[in-house]
Amino acid sequence: MNKIQKTTEIKQSAYFPELTPNFKSEVLTHPDARGLNACFSCGTCSAGCPIHEVFPEYNPKKLAKMVRLGMRKRVLSSPYIWYCATCHNCEQRCPQNVKFFNILNVLKNTAAKEGYAPTAWVEQIRQVIKTGIVFSTEDNWVKKREELSLPSLKEEHPKLKKIIESTCIDKIKPRADSV
Amino acid sequence: MNRHALFLGCTTPTKVPQYELASRWVCKYFEINLVDIEEFGCCGINQVNLSIEAGLLMAASNLALAEDKRLDILTLCAACAGALAEAIEKLKDKSTKDRVNEKLREVNLEYKGSVKVRHISRVLYEDIGIEKIKKEVKRDLSGLRAAPHYGCHYLKPKSAFGGFEEPDNPRTLHELVSATGAQPVKYETLNLCCGGKVFPVSSDLVYSLVQKKLDDLADKEIDAMVLQCQTCYLMYSDRQKEINQKYGEQYNLPVLFYPQLLGLAIGADPVKDLGLNLHMILPDKIIAKVI
Repeated sequence: MNKIQKTTEIKQSAYFPELTPNFKSEVLTHPDARGLNACFSCGTCSAGCPIHEVFPEYNPKKLAKMVRLGMRKRVLSSPYIWYCATCHNCEQRCPQNVKFFNILNVLKNTAAKEGYAPTAWVEQIRQVIKTGIVFSTEDNWVKKREELSLPSLKEEHPKLKKIIESTCIDKIKPRADSV
Repeated sequence: MNRHALFLGCTTPTKVPQYELASRWVCKYFEINLVDIEEFGCCGINQVNLSIEAGLLMAASNLALAEDKRLDILTLCAACAGALAEAIEKLKDKSTKDRVNEKLREVNLEYKGSVKVRHISRVLYEDIGIEKIKKEVKRDLSGLRAAPHYGCHYLKPKSAFGGFEEPDNPRTLHELVSATGAQPVKYETLNLCCGGKVFPVSSDLVYSLVQKKLDDLADKEIDAMVLQCQTCYLMYSDRQKEINQKYGEQYNLPVLFYPQLLGLAIGADPVKDLGLNLHMILPDKIIAKVI
């Protein structure tokens, strides 16, 4: 028994120095990641992914497998986990009803907490806290609203601001090697 | 009377007001009464990237604001429709709803679970109907060849929309385009995503996706793309210009919103009512064809 354990340890350190065996369990604790265990790696998700087609390095099937293997650091630090276009083809077509889109969001949330969030998304949160929407209300097009007799936009959204701040999402810092 | 809370979202009011203008005109024409709720904010769709909980709370607060006025929501943006409908699905779980309401109570809001969310095209399709639209047509659009583009979040996830559409074989926008008299054109990349949600992170991915669709449409004698989401619009119009500059391409395909096509058919003024003069790629040829 001891001998077997020792062999496993040696193998891990020799060939897979960065594995975190309980990563899959960690991801599965989030209700949105339910279903990851049902994946049988058929690759339907990747086959129907528009991003994978133009940029093969973004590969949903591969990411799902990496999570199950425990490649925590490789997955969370990868810039590619942020490349999903949110088209939902993967979950729409999955024969096992795995919602990869949701699993990916769990991965992105975890990555964000560990300092890997792209600047663009961090800045967007800051903007929403300011104006309630993801853009400034100072844009030239906004000025055009008056000419078009469209109602003016509210410039502050204190309720939304309070709700967002209650999640501490505004404390997230962008990744150093900004994507 | 058909009354809805108008959910503008972020991009339409600040970057593409012509879509809002045309939508308001069309709704007024068909007696769809739109109520503005100025406290509406972002639907939360992008915020799930950093926090699923923040995205859900943002959606729920908007839903609660409409409920408070006893109104269902009509969205112009396909992604807002998708995000809010997905939130409704999630909030069917009692413990999730209780947890969310605990936070909403701090800002005097409560989500009860009675509000419905539909995209403007779906409201036109279901409440006004193809036959009524056909009867209102005053201008001859039969010479227009239009490429419909649905927008991913108008179709998916299917479960959030109660089986309204078949994502791999959609039909409502085709029927709505046909109802105006224009010809919806079949093309291979119909369901190809515009990539809009990844644009803040990688513009190159978007250029590749947009170019694929434009290439597919290039030899089909299309007068315009007709779509129903301002993010898709920005990808196919503004990005089209950028692709021309960056890669020396010569694309020049006008992009219209469905309410603008419908407005043209039922007699609206192309500039004053529909804002067609505000498009990045001016649809002058189309206006000349039908007026």
